[in-house]
Amino acid sequence: EEEDKESIKISVYDKVVDLLNQASLIAKENDKVGILKQVQELIIKKDSNLLDNFFDEMIAFQTGSVDVKKFVIGFMEEACKVDSDLLPKVMPSLQHLLNDENVNVQKKVILSLPSVYRVLLMWLSITKSPTPEMTQVWEIMASMKKQLYNMLDSDNDGIRTHCVKFTEGLVLTLSRRTEDSEVPKSIKTDEVSLDSLPDTSRYLKVSKLEEEGKKMFDALLQFMASPHISSINLITVMSSLCNIAKQRPAFFSRVVQAYEALHVNLPPTLAKSQVSSVRKNLKMQMLSLLKHPRSVDFLTNITTLLTDLGATQNEVLKVMPKMEETKKRKR
Amino acid sequence: MSDLRIAVVCSSNMNRSMEGHSCLSKKGFNVRSFGTGNQVKLPGPAPNMPNIYDFNTTYDEIYKDLLRKDPELYKTNGILHMLDRNRRIKPKPERFQSCKDTFDIIVSCEERVFDQIVEELESRERSENHPVHVINIDIQDNHEEATIGAFLIKNLITQLSECEDIDNEIDEIIQEFEHESNRNILHTLQFM
Repeated sequence: EEEDKESIKISVYDKVVDLLNQASLIAKENDKVGILKQVQELIIKKDSNLLDNFFDEMIAFQTGSVDVKKFVIGFMEEACKVDSDLLPKVMPSLQHLLNDENVNVQKKVILSLPSVYRVLLMWLSITKSPTPEMTQVWEIMASMKKQLYNMLDSDNDGIRTHCVKFTEGLVLTLSRRTEDSEVPKSIKTDEVSLDSLPDTSRYLKVSKLEEEGKKMFDALLQFMASPHISSINLITVMSSLCNIAKQRPAFFSRVVQAYEALHVNLPPTLAKSQVSSVRKNLKMQMLSLLKHPRSVDFLTNITTLLTDLGATQNEVLKVMPKMEETKKRKR
Repeated sequence: MSDLRIAVVCSSNMNRSMEGHSCLSKKGFNVRSFGTGNQVKLPGPAPNMPNIYDFNTTYDEIYKDLLRKDPELYKTNGILHMLDRNRRIKPKPERFQSCKDTFDIIVSCEERVFDQIVEELESRERSENHPVHVINIDIQDNHEEATIGAFLIKNLITQLSECEDIDNEIDEIIQEFEHESNRNILHTLQFM
C-alpha cells in the first residue's frame, strides 16, 4: 500500500512538471491560465506536500499577461492559507504587483490582501521571538496598508471601491466578536478576529491592533461623508459598513448614525438616477440592519429612516425583530 | 472579442432576457440569460389565465404544449415564434437564483427583477469576492419593447466592453447612455 501511495505521489509530481512545461510553452494566455489552474488544484488541494517544490515555478509566471498575473495573485493567496511559511515569498511579490501598471492587477492584489493579512496575523501570533524574516514581512504589510489608505483618495473610481473592501476586511479582523456577531458561514471557518490571537503573543500588541481597526473604521465613515463621493463608491462603503455593523455590533450605533446623516445630506454631485440607486441601496441596508438583534436599541431611528425611504409597513414588519426577543434582551 | 461575462435577466427568461441574449450572442459576447420569477409565465387565452410552467420545462415542451392547446392563438400573438427562437438558443429557461456562476455585468429588465438580483447576491455566501455591476434598464414585456430593449442593452454592453478600465469609466458611460436613450438606469456594485 505504501508503494501505491508513493507511485501516486510520483505520478502527481510528473503531472505537475508536465503541466508547468506546457504552461511555459503555450502562447494563448487563456489556455495558460487554464493549465496553471490545474497545477494549483494538484499542489494545493490534491497533494499540498508538493506546494513547496513548485511554488517558485508558479510565482515565476507573475511576469505574464494581466490574466496570468491575476491568477498568480489568487494562487499566492490560496498557497499561504495552506502554508504560512510561504509568506516571506508571497508578500514581496504582492507588494510588487500592487504597483503594477495595470489597475486590474492592482485591484486583484487589493482584494486578496485581507485574507493574506489574516494568515500573517496568525503566523506572527504564535511566535515567541520573531525572526528577521518575520519582521520584514510585517513591515512590508505595514507599508502596503499605508499605501492602500492613501489609495482611498485615488483618482481611479474602481481602485477606491476596492480599497473600501480592503478596509472592511481589516476592520473585521482588527476588532472583537461579540455574542450577537452575525458572521456569514463562508467566513466562519477561517475567520480571524482579535479574539483569535493568544494573549501571550509577544510580538503583536492586541490593543494597538484594536486601535488601528477603529481608525480604519473611522476612515470608512469619513469616506462615506465625503461631499463629492461617486455613486458606486458610496454604495460600496454603505454595504461595507452594514457588514461591519452586523458582524461587529460594537460599531452598530455609529453606522446607524452615519446612515441617518447621509440620508439628509446626499452628495449634491449625484445624478437623479444615481440618487435613486443610492436610496434603494440605503433602504436595503437599513432593512438588513433591522433584522439584526442589535437593532432593538435603534428601532425608532431605523424605522423612521425606512419610512422616509419609501419602505412599506409590510416590508418593515417582515424583518423587524420579534417583540419577545426584544423583551428578553431588555431584561 | 471582450471576455466580459454577461447575464441578462428578466422574470421568466422568455421574452426580454432572451431577446437580449440572442442579440448579444450574435455580436459574439459571452452571455447567459435568466429569470428571477418563481415560475415561468406566458400569456394565455385571457389576462387572468396565464400559462404557467416550472423552470425545468424545456422551451420545446412548452412549444408543443401550446401548439396542442391553441395553435392559432399562440401563432398570432407570436409566442410560438418566440419559443422557437428560444429553443434554438438553449434547452430551457434558467432561474437566476439557482446559478452560482460569476459574472462581470448583470443587466436586468425591470426594477423588481433588479431588486431580486441584488437581494439574492446580498444573501449569498460570497465565494470569490468578485465585483459585479448590476444595471437595470426598464423594458416593457412585449415583443416590440423587447426588440428595442435588446438593442439598447447591446449598445450599452458594446460601450462597456470597449473601455480599458470599466470600473473607472462605467459611471460616465451610464450617464451618457441615460441621456441618449432617455431612460433612467439603476446601477449598483455587488461582490459575488
